[in-house]
Amino acid sequence: MNVRDHAKKIAEKAMKRRSRWTGLLLIVVAVAVLGAISLIQAYYAQEGIRNEAQTKAESQLNAIKSGILNVVNQAESAVRNNVWLAQWCLQVPDSLANIPRLIVNNNPIIAGSTIALVPNYYKDRPLYSPYVAITNGKIIETSLATPEYDYPSQEWFVKPVEMDRGYWSEPYVDTGGGEILMTTYSVPIKDNDGRIAAVLTADIDLEWLKALVNDIKIYPGAFSTVVSRTGRLMVSPDDNLIMNTTIDEYAATVDDTASFNALNRAMLNRESGSIQVTHNGTRNMVYYTPIDKTGWAMNIIIPEREMFTGLRKLNNLIRILQGLGLLLLILIFHAIAKSQLKFKSISEKKEKMESELMIASDIQMSMIPKTFPPFPERKDIDLSAALVPAKEVSGDLYDFFIRDEKLFFCIGDVSGKGVPASLLMAVTRSLFRSISSHQDNPKEIVSAMNNSMADMNDSNMFVTFICCVLDLKTGKMQYSNAGHNAPLVFTDKISELPVDPNLPLGIIKGRPYTLQEVDLHYDDAVFLYTDGITEAENPTHGMFGLQRLKDTLSGRKPAQDHLDNVKKAVADFVKDAPQSDDLTMLFFHYLNNPTQNKSVNSITLSNDISQIHELEKFIGKIAEDIKIPESLKSSINLAMEEAVTNVIMYSGADTVDIAAQTDEDGITFTITDSGKPFDPTAVPDVDINQNAGDRPVGGLGIHMFKKIMDSVTYRRQDNRNILTLIKKIS
Amino acid sequence: MKTKVTREEGQITIEFTGRLDTPAAQEANPEITPLLDEADKTIIIDCKELTYISSSGLRIFLTIRKAAEDRKGKVIVQNINNDIRSVFMMTGFLNLFEIR
Repeated sequence: MNVRDHAKKIAEKAMKRRSRWTGLLLIVVAVAVLGAISLIQAYYAQEGIRNEAQTKAESQLNAIKSGILNVVNQAESAVRNNVWLAQWCLQVPDSLANIPRLIVNNNPIIAGSTIALVPNYYKDRPLYSPYVAITNGKIIETSLATPEYDYPSQEWFVKPVEMDRGYWSEPYVDTGGGEILMTTYSVPIKDNDGRIAAVLTADIDLEWLKALVNDIKIYPGAFSTVVSRTGRLMVSPDDNLIMNTTIDEYAATVDDTASFNALNRAMLNRESGSIQVTHNGTRNMVYYTPIDKTGWAMNIIIPEREMFTGLRKLNNLIRILQGLGLLLLILIFHAIAKSQLKFKSISEKKEKMESELMIASDIQMSMIPKTFPPFPERKDIDLSAALVPAKEVSGDLYDFFIRDEKLFFCIGDVSGKGVPASLLMAVTRSLFRSISSHQDNPKEIVSAMNNSMADMNDSNMFVTFICCVLDLKTGKMQYSNAGHNAPLVFTDKISELPVDPNLPLGIIKGRPYTLQEVDLHYDDAVFLYTDGITEAENPTHGMFGLQRLKDTLSGRKPAQDHLDNVKKAVADFVKDAPQSDDLTMLFFHYLNNPTQNKSVNSITLSNDISQIHELEKFIGKIAEDIKIPESLKSSINLAMEEAVTNVIMYSGADTVDIAAQTDEDGITFTITDSGKPFDPTAVPDVDINQNAGDRPVGGLGIHMFKKIMDSVTYRRQDNRNILTLIKKIS
Repeated sequence: MKTKVTREEGQITIEFTGRLDTPAAQEANPEITPLLDEADKTIIIDCKELTYISSSGLRIFLTIRKAAEDRKGKVIVQNINNDIRSVFMMTGFLNLFEIR
């Protein structure tokens, strides 16, 4: 593994780790937020439920209380309403027995009644207490004035006398007519002197109380107790405890004695409120309140479990939902993180590779000339070329240029594909350009290229290559083949150019290459191509083949049309099969017609101002050829000197090509350089009427060649400045 | 191309012989530059043997002309042939110089 891959792995690991931490953090935060929400929600819900329970409990307590007070008030009224009668009856003691009778008969809720005289109030009656009771619908009249009972010592008698007011007795269990829980209300009766003479009572049985208390159930497991003034249980779910146990005694038997004691104190102190007590392992809320007049207190006990049943269900539901949400969050995050990681690494790699390939492809395509026609000013050359890469970058190349009236052109196919092939292609092309800039012999060009490439060929790649140099004036074409497939030559028929089987470039250094020659005539053509065309495969792996290529190229057509036809024919043939190899081709149609009165000359000058003398000779030779007057020659020379000087001095190009084509109309000069873009036709005209002091020193040259020439046009093509100057000769 | 400078009393004569093209103008420049300090005098540029001039040559003429204007000197161009006259015409130099 190389360093870069290692670094990438580390970076990816770090990224994974980072995203894992991020994920963990996100989940922790989510859990915290959800937890906080559910705590707050639980707290408020609990508060709400507590408040609701309290309201419910209080209203139940009030309902029971008012139910009790209703009975109590009735009993009290029944007694009080007879107080005046009792007072009156004191004067007729025998009539006193009527009063309890009256009370019991007129008040169904009253089970028994007596009027008990204070002992010795009447001399003749030391004890007197006629008692009327109703048991199972039967009125029974007895007397309580028995020595065993000793009514003057009974609570119901003592307390009202002592307190001088109505008094509710401690509840008690009456054993006379069944085990009935009873309580007695008693009021003191005063005589006209204000002395307490008797106590009038009404007994009420408390069976209804149990019913009343147990009747209302706000929660299924809730229950109530009622305790007497002394803390005795009057109503309890456990009947055995009724009247047998005080709440203090009971508190001592339970675990949570402290809470029970606190509850008991509050109740016995006749307070209202609530307290939490634990009983048999369950927590309960106890709401309590005193019952006026009677001295009783009651409570309602609600197991919290039941109180919060709804909440617990809700909480469970919420927790399940939260859990699911969290799980979903984790899954989503995981999925996103995973896909991002994957996507990132894939898309990064892909993007990088694509952009590298795109750059390589751009560089490659910018190397080869691709504006057609390449020499629009020349009527003797119709040349077009095309390169259709199979992959993003290609291993094929073609190139051509004119130097000293010689057309140099070549085609090559680098072994392999993709970036390495394209790099070698670039090397090949630059070797071709640099060597052929001073070498006219294709054999020498190919040999020199081979030696350079074999020297640096570490990866054992090679290039099949064919280099042609055509003398545009004579039509003599020299070529040297380095393992490339034979070009086609078009004379009166289409045939393969004979090529010697030399080795491709880059294999063995010092290997000799052979030179071959062919004479081209007006209207002959040459077609150079790579085997990507003849070996193009259709979906059934049939090959395009040489014959199909020859058929496609039949007839004389513009070079560009031939190329378009070949491209189309290959495309039609391969159909939707993937292009397996680059398609590269160059078509050159030689149109130098010696019968026409025209000639083309060209010269290549190096970047040196002394080369102007060569230009002068070149112009002189043309002038001599077409026999123009000395002064015209001089001004043409002046214009060309100015134009070429500009290039030599300012373009930065290594060389400048000058071509001159003469015909009946005049001379067309083409100045070509690969220097920095400069359009002299865009330079504003010099104001020739300015004073000497104001005149700029420069700009005169451009001014002059524009004045002298009949037409000056500029274009930028294939990274070259092409200036065409035409001088008409009448 | 030859450049010949002769000094008489109060005046300098520059004789250009042959083609004053771009390379020639570059050669001539070092010979002309010192004369610019003496541009308060009358400078005669004799073109009797001058057969050709390009913009670089014209630039020398213009430099001398500017120096003379600064130093209140005088520049006279004499004996120009027709080719050079047409170049002078083309560039407006006919109006810049006193031509004899």
